[in-house]
Amino acid sequence: MRTKLALVVAGAGLLLAAAPVWAHHAFAAEFDAKKPVKLQGKVTKMEWINPHAWIHLDVKNPDGTVTNWMVEGGTPNTLLRRGFTKDSLQAGTEIVVDGYQAKDGSNRANGRDVTFPDGRKLFIGNQNANEGAPEASK
Amino acid sequence: MAASLKALTVAAIALASAAPAWCQTTASAKVKTASKTWAVPRTPDGQPDLQGTWSNTTLTPLERPAELAGKAYLTEQEAAEWEKRTFANLTGDRRDGGADADVARSYNEFWRDRGTKVIGSRRTSLIVDPPDGRVPALTPEAQKRVAQAAAAARAHSTDGPEYQNLWVRCLTRGLPMLPGPYNNDFQIVQTPGAVVILHEMIHDVRVIPLDGRPHLPSDVRQWLGDGRGHWEGDTLVVDTTNFSEKDNFRGSGANLHLIERFTRVGPDEISYRFTVDDSTTFTRPWEAEVPMTRADGQIFEYACHEGNYALADILRGARAQEAAQNGSKQGSK
Repeated sequence: MRTKLALVVAGAGLLLAAAPVWAHHAFAAEFDAKKPVKLQGKVTKMEWINPHAWIHLDVKNPDGTVTNWMVEGGTPNTLLRRGFTKDSLQAGTEIVVDGYQAKDGSNRANGRDVTFPDGRKLFIGNQNANEGAPEASK
Repeated sequence: MAASLKALTVAAIALASAAPAWCQTTASAKVKTASKTWAVPRTPDGQPDLQGTWSNTTLTPLERPAELAGKAYLTEQEAAEWEKRTFANLTGDRRDGGADADVARSYNEFWRDRGTKVIGSRRTSLIVDPPDGRVPALTPEAQKRVAQAAAAARAHSTDGPEYQNLWVRCLTRGLPMLPGPYNNDFQIVQTPGAVVILHEMIHDVRVIPLDGRPHLPSDVRQWLGDGRGHWEGDTLVVDTTNFSEKDNFRGSGANLHLIERFTRVGPDEISYRFTVDDSTTFTRPWEAEVPMTRADGQIFEYACHEGNYALADILRGARAQEAAQNGSKQGSK
């Protein structure tokens, strides 16, 4: 497994400057394809940072306890360029994250698919959490 | 909402282009008029004016895809179909292909800005020479070097941060300036003695002297090399050497000799051509052309290193997996 992943990383390094890589780093090196997770909960904060933004959310466990998860997205610059701001995803907003857990077993995942509970994707078009933000087009 | 945004955009474009004479015409007349009367704008000291924020976002790949072998240009209709198909293929919103492909796609497309169009000429590769639109074959020496680097990466990629590539380490976007799926914005600032190019992605800055000074001594090596500029007519030519041996552009590093040509070809476009000359890596020099179009707005701060949680996550993940493997080995003994 490790060899296979290293190969992917090496390949990415060789092609980096030319090919349309998926992200700043290979997510396969950080997240475990064998550990899919589905998280629903309320946003506690979003870190608008590079190279990747992180959304924090509180997820209620079956036993009633709450776990704070961190979810990795992409560069916030793209969102800023489209007119979204730090107010566009506010604490308390209910979201659903479909992703894969970090290989170190911590409560981190990639935001493979981040939606509102009704299935609408975040940062697309005009929605309650993004009042006044423009449509995602450029 | 969409309409008001469009109006805003139009207003912004009108504002941005209010000063030069070429845009005092109506939009419909602009293209024709521009080609007849547009002249390269100049800085107060008479240099062609390349200043502003520019984007090289495009769906056109560096190399001609195998499916388009022998076809250098697309018709308008072919381009429209290819754009649609290519975007559908690349989009991060796809969820097919199994868990490995799913993780590799990382996250939703709303984080990306890969564009939806090919370049205006509809050429099927950014590479213009060789004519097949492909990077020339590596020399035997380079093949060996690349294979050794790949083997080292296989053995050590998660040993420590220094084994990760320059992007993951937030060190440099590297040269030449090629588009990726996001953050393809560049700002050019000119002074009488230098041209400065800011790359949004990984906050690179190049200060390129124009005073004819020689390159740095060959033992001084830099991530973005050592660039020296001069004007050939209205084209800025930047000659860059002294790259680091740790740079890796398609297998080329320390011996890369990069020649870039920036020509303002219209009110909203710069032609960026570059020649890659490294006989220790490629069996022949090669050349690409990437249009840079005017971008509204500004370069945003990237501040990559401070928020690069992923690098530590990758290394911690590798240690956790090793521990798990060691544990299961011991358990099975």
